Amino acid sequence: MALSVQNLTKKYGEKVVVDNLSFEMNKPGVFALLGTNGAGKTTTIRVILGMLSYNSGEVLWEDKPFDAINMSVGYLAEERGLYPKYSLLDQLLYFAKLRNVPKKEAMNRIKYWSERLLVEEYVFPPKTKGVKKSKSNLADQLSKGNQQKVQLMAALLSDPKFLILDEPLSGLDPVNTDLFKQIIREEIAKDKYLIMSSHQMPTIEEFCSDIIILDRGKTVLQGNLNEIKKGYGRVNLFIKSDKDIAQYISQFGIKIQNKTPSEYHLKVKDEEQAMALLAKLIEEKIPVVKFELREPSLHEIFVEKVGNVHEDE
Amino acid sequence: MKMSNITGWKDVFTFTLKQTLKSRAFIIGYIIFIVFSLLVFPVVNIVLDSDEEDEGLIKIQSVYLFNETEITDIDFEEISNLEIAVNDLRFITENGNYEDVLEQIEKEDKSSVVLKITKDEGGYFLHFTKSTSGIVKNAELEILGNTVKESFERAIIDYAGVSDNQLEVVKSQVSNRVSTISPELDSEGQEMVIEDTSISYNDYWFLYGILFAFLMITIMSSSKIATSIVIEKSSKVIEQLLISVKPLAIVVGKTLATLSAVLLQFVSIIILAFISNYVTNNRMSVSKSNVIENYINPDIISNLEVGNILICLIVIALGIIFYATLAALVGSTASRLEEMAESLSLFTIASLIGAYVGMGAAGSLVGVGDNPFVYFALIFPLSSPFILPGAVLLGKSPIYITIISVILLAISIILLFNFTAKVYETLILHTGNRIKINELFKMAKNSKEGQVNEK
Repeated sequence: MALSVQNLTKKYGEKVVVDNLSFEMNKPGVFALLGTNGAGKTTTIRVILGMLSYNSGEVLWEDKPFDAINMSVGYLAEERGLYPKYSLLDQLLYFAKLRNVPKKEAMNRIKYWSERLLVEEYVFPPKTKGVKKSKSNLADQLSKGNQQKVQLMAALLSDPKFLILDEPLSGLDPVNTDLFKQIIREEIAKDKYLIMSSHQMPTIEEFCSDIIILDRGKTVLQGNLNEIKKGYGRVNLFIKSDKDIAQYISQFGIKIQNKTPSEYHLKVKDEEQAMALLAKLIEEKIPVVKFELREPSLHEIFVEKVGNVHEDE
Repeated sequence: MKMSNITGWKDVFTFTLKQTLKSRAFIIGYIIFIVFSLLVFPVVNIVLDSDEEDEGLIKIQSVYLFNETEITDIDFEEISNLEIAVNDLRFITENGNYEDVLEQIEKEDKSSVVLKITKDEGGYFLHFTKSTSGIVKNAELEILGNTVKESFERAIIDYAGVSDNQLEVVKSQVSNRVSTISPELDSEGQEMVIEDTSISYNDYWFLYGILFAFLMITIMSSSKIATSIVIEKSSKVIEQLLISVKPLAIVVGKTLATLSAVLLQFVSIIILAFISNYVTNNRMSVSKSNVIENYINPDIISNLEVGNILICLIVIALGIIFYATLAALVGSTASRLEEMAESLSLFTIASLIGAYVGMGAAGSLVGVGDNPFVYFALIFPLSSPFILPGAVLLGKSPIYITIISVILLAISIILLFNFTAKVYETLILHTGNRIKINELFKMAKNSKEGQVNEK
């Protein structure tokens, strides 16, 4: 077992921000840490990484106490941070040095990643004779996206075995989002352990095998994403038709979740109910452009779980 | 506090020092300090030399003497050979018309003066007259007048027939002394005499100079340390650092790096000032007078023993560490640069209390000498770094007071460091409003209540 978090509790005074949290990562891959704003995701990450102390529980890596300082860890924080007035190269070398990467190796990796992430001109600004020294190699001169790329470089410089990405894709344009996704895929392919926290549910579905959903420090759902979805069953029905089919839907007592001019999103009891509706539409010679029966999306599960907790209160 | 909590401080130190030395603010400040250090002594010497030229190098060619008194045996030879009178000053005894001689120096002999010595019921008068538009200056006449006066007074004593022994008796000092009926006796059975332990104004300014230099170092370094920490917090770099080093390692590394940069500036200033003084005195100064030696008490130079210097350096280093740690602690209560001045108020108050207690002690040393307040200032951890180094060099701090002071300062640093270690983890990741002092104590209390991740 690589990572094991058992009964972790963190309090600020009387306020419990992480409440008896437990999860494990048994094999390489991406583990999703989900939750609403203020659910305790970032605090959990900080506690795991040893930045914050905790009140009870344990965090183990390969059955030994987790020690971020002395193990191979990379971290892309939610709140991106670079020194605004220091050169990018200086601070990347500094971060590498803190992770015990030899300078020569660090330089090679910085070159590789700066080319890969298309920030070479900022990390290694060209020297032009007679031109005043460029300030473009300072962090505060970079766009938010480029700062994020440099931040990702810092996280990857030590080639960590365990990587935590807190909201890695927020604020990125589509091109850079694809670039980041490609790099994440490559890291997964290298058999690395990743914890990803994100509000972008499609991204989580794309990468993550196991998830945990937190709400105000408490675990509201946990497990393998596919199994969770299977547990819900294929109850989401999407039908697209040129004609109004509302009367047939109501005949079967099916609940309409959402409706656009040509498409219905329905919640059926089971597959049989969906098939019965389809048979009726065919019988009535209603042209059906799309008929999709699938499990609920992570987004729907998330809203349902977190919404349920709030409704219960 | 475990040593593992500061593992990695060297990397933080190296990076922070390198970036501080590369920063434009440091370079500009450093250049200003260097220029100031190099120029201060040449400028002071130019001013002093011009004054000396005015006061010392007498341009008076001749003194026409009209002596209307019975005192005639004045040693003008001695006056002519005075160090300050290098221009072959001649004394010419005149028997002619006083008005004619005055007219002569007014029109022709403008570098000469007339001295008329008279006597009335009030005593003797030395009356100098110079040309209205001549080159002789009042300052020159004042020096000449004082010198002639001294020679004339000796001539009066000789004239009165007073021997050297008689003169010594007349000049004997008369002092008051008060003692009790049963006086305290020393080990030899002699009555113990209470020593005058007060210090001179020169010594006071020496103490004040060291105190002020220490205050400058603490203020400069602490504001840099606090700024550096707040920048790391506000730019969110801190999280990137905290996966590699503990918060305390960041504090130690940053504090020592900033102190090194500030000390580099100050040591450079002192070294360059001494070099400037040496070069100025040997190459530029007309009078060859040493500005530093003129103003420092020779007792201080004799007190510059290895042991005393070592004690001073230890006290200064401990004091700087104490105030720097305090600045790092209170600086980290702010999350934004605009909150920094407010967050530093505790540091400012503490350092001002220390400086004012030190100044008060220095003042009372001038007035009444050693007293309980001075001893309090010497051992009080807030004020001891300000006053103790100077007091040690002046020989005004007994060895047992020095030892107590160093021990108390070291204990204060350990307590402050432990407190900082307890709250810094929370402080350094805090990004909300500025944390108040009472909240700091709550944090320290909470940290005692069973946190289990102290690696």
